[in-house]
Amino acid sequence: MHAARLIGKDIPSLTIALDPIPSHLPLEELADLFRHPAYAEVLSIPVVDDGKPVGMISRHRFTDIYLKRYGRELYGKQPVGNFANKSPLTVAYEQPLAEAAQHITGNMQLPLTEDFIITRNGKYLGIGFVMDLIKAMEMQMRADTEALDQAYSRLKSSQTALVQSEKMASLGQMVAGVAHEINTPLGYVQNNVTIGNELFGHVQNMFASYETLVDKMLDGQSSAEEVSAQIQQIAEMRAALSVNEMLGEMRGLMEDSLYGIGQISELVLNLKNFSRMDSAATDTVSLHDCIASALNIGRNILKNKVEIVRQFGDIPAIKCAPSQLNQVFLNLFTNAAQAIADHGRITIKTWHVNDAVHIEVADTGKGIPAENIARIFDPFFTTKAIGEGTGLGLSITYQIIQQHGGDIRVTSRVGEGTCFHIRLPASAAHHDAQLLAA
Amino acid sequence: MSKPTLLLVDDEERILRSLRMLFFTGYNVRMTTDANEAIRILKEERIHVIVSDQRMPIMLGAELLRIAREISPCTMRILLTGYSDLDASIACVNEGEVFRYLLKPWSGEEVKQVVADAAAIALATFANERSPYTAAMLQQKARILVLDSDESTVHAVREVLRDSAEVIWAGNLQHATEVLSQVDIAVLVADVMLDGKNISYMLKTVKQQYPKTQSMVVTSFKDTSHLIDLINQAQIARYLPKPLRKNILGRNLEYLIERFRAVCTVPLLQTRHSVAPISDPKEQAQAHGLMDLLNRLRLHRATA
Repeated sequence: MHAARLIGKDIPSLTIALDPIPSHLPLEELADLFRHPAYAEVLSIPVVDDGKPVGMISRHRFTDIYLKRYGRELYGKQPVGNFANKSPLTVAYEQPLAEAAQHITGNMQLPLTEDFIITRNGKYLGIGFVMDLIKAMEMQMRADTEALDQAYSRLKSSQTALVQSEKMASLGQMVAGVAHEINTPLGYVQNNVTIGNELFGHVQNMFASYETLVDKMLDGQSSAEEVSAQIQQIAEMRAALSVNEMLGEMRGLMEDSLYGIGQISELVLNLKNFSRMDSAATDTVSLHDCIASALNIGRNILKNKVEIVRQFGDIPAIKCAPSQLNQVFLNLFTNAAQAIADHGRITIKTWHVNDAVHIEVADTGKGIPAENIARIFDPFFTTKAIGEGTGLGLSITYQIIQQHGGDIRVTSRVGEGTCFHIRLPASAAHHDAQLLAA
Repeated sequence: MSKPTLLLVDDEERILRSLRMLFFTGYNVRMTTDANEAIRILKEERIHVIVSDQRMPIMLGAELLRIAREISPCTMRILLTGYSDLDASIACVNEGEVFRYLLKPWSGEEVKQVVADAAAIALATFANERSPYTAAMLQQKARILVLDSDESTVHAVREVLRDSAEVIWAGNLQHATEVLSQVDIAVLVADVMLDGKNISYMLKTVKQQYPKTQSMVVTSFKDTSHLIDLINQAQIARYLPKPLRKNILGRNLEYLIERFRAVCTVPLLQTRHSVAPISDPKEQAQAHGLMDLLNRLRLHRATA
């Protein structure tokens, strides 16, 4: 009957409405009952008086009694109640599965000889199989694990999205900074070319007038009046526009424009170097190049405000993800610049000990209070105003350094400044796979 | 008449050389890469128009223009910058009180026109020999119109002004329009965002129609390009971020009431706050509709 039953994830779905027996039933009746098809699958039969469960009598116990010499003759007429287990395993119909399972598995006797009783408001309702309960529990756990897995992968993808958005935010800031910086050379180059274009028109007109004059003087047909009228026209043009002077000025403006175009090209090149869009994700590079690239890109934040002191040691090129390390350095420089209120200094030190490359970035900014220092690498921790920082910069920095097999530490004194110290392994073959995955 | 004098300040001398070519025929051009030198020139010479860069090593352009305003209040101030950041634009409104906020790369024609307008205004103000905004106070109570659906703004304005001015509150555009068409308003205090809609065009139209009215923007809306348009096309006199700080609100309201009175006494002064035409086509249409409405309401008042 219950072989086809679907096991669910709660007690009701496990309930088998089995007819119980009263406690006064003679023990010998059980011999027929246990052989009856309705009871074929059960390990035990509940004993119930006035709807209340009072015990459980198992096949095992019954066989024990009958196997005793004269067992059947001695005890057959006695009531079942005398032999039943008085404290059977019992769970309530409404009980959560996990709680019921905990109760059953904690109290059951081995070998397993009894089923458990299910009650509702203290009244007998049916029985359940311990194996069913364990099966249901297993299903439940499997579902929970799946849900956990799903939640985990959701979390993971939203973290990836966050990291991505932080990357985009810092990229956006960087691009905006560089775009602004391009505006200055673009401003004068554009203006100079516009002026040059106008001047070119004037020069063209003037040249045409001179040509006409020369033609008139040479063709032998023009009268002296015509020639002098032409000379007069040229004189007027010269008086109206000091073309010579303007041409002299224009020379300087052309040189300025070439310089400006050089500046714009350099800025574009900096952007390209920084993003490394056209290079391999991992490469063997000198960290000095990464630092220089980050300084170039951060120039608009740093200039007029921060003096950069380079104390570069002799360090070997290392295998790394350069675009990620560029991001790390830009992040550290940006933070340092933001910590400096007016004017200050950033000292960048590099050195090499045994198998590790060390980089130190120290600023003369306002410093980090002791209560914050333990949290600065935590995601979302920020002391910046809303909209100014995502609180992910340093946590991503930390992640990138870890993926490179290195570590990053910080020391800070309020009012004096902050120093970040990064150690990276010089030979970094073992974390290749991680870098590529990042 | 002698040529007006133009002072160009930028830390990139190539910008100075380039700009000079636009102006050397019509102006005496003074230029420097050093803000301190610029201050010295402002103290020693009559400068009609100053055009300054924003980001410079010694001080920011907005700061230089604030100092210029103190040293030589009649000098017209223009900022020319490649960086459009919000802090700079707010400082330009509140401290620099700039005539125009121009962006690099610039259009030669536009810069020439703006400088020419500024120079004409400066020549007239210098000739008037009166320092702006020192005119005697008028006896009449000033009227303040607060246009903001958020009632706390009008409460704040009433609290800081007490009985010194008449404060009218309009929670919607229609009411504000009616008030504007019927009475002279000294200061319009408005949030650019009214019930989620941007009403910059309203501020621009008001300045075109009622050039004497001083406008103060109070808002939590942060958009640099909008603000730059409000400087150039509405000549907003103050920009205060929400939440409002009472002492700052009070000080600025009093200043703007004075400025309104000065403009009423010396009408020439209002040319100093003349506006550029509205550039956005959608806003042009909105402004046109609003102007029609204001005119009809005014006619209605005249005939009633």
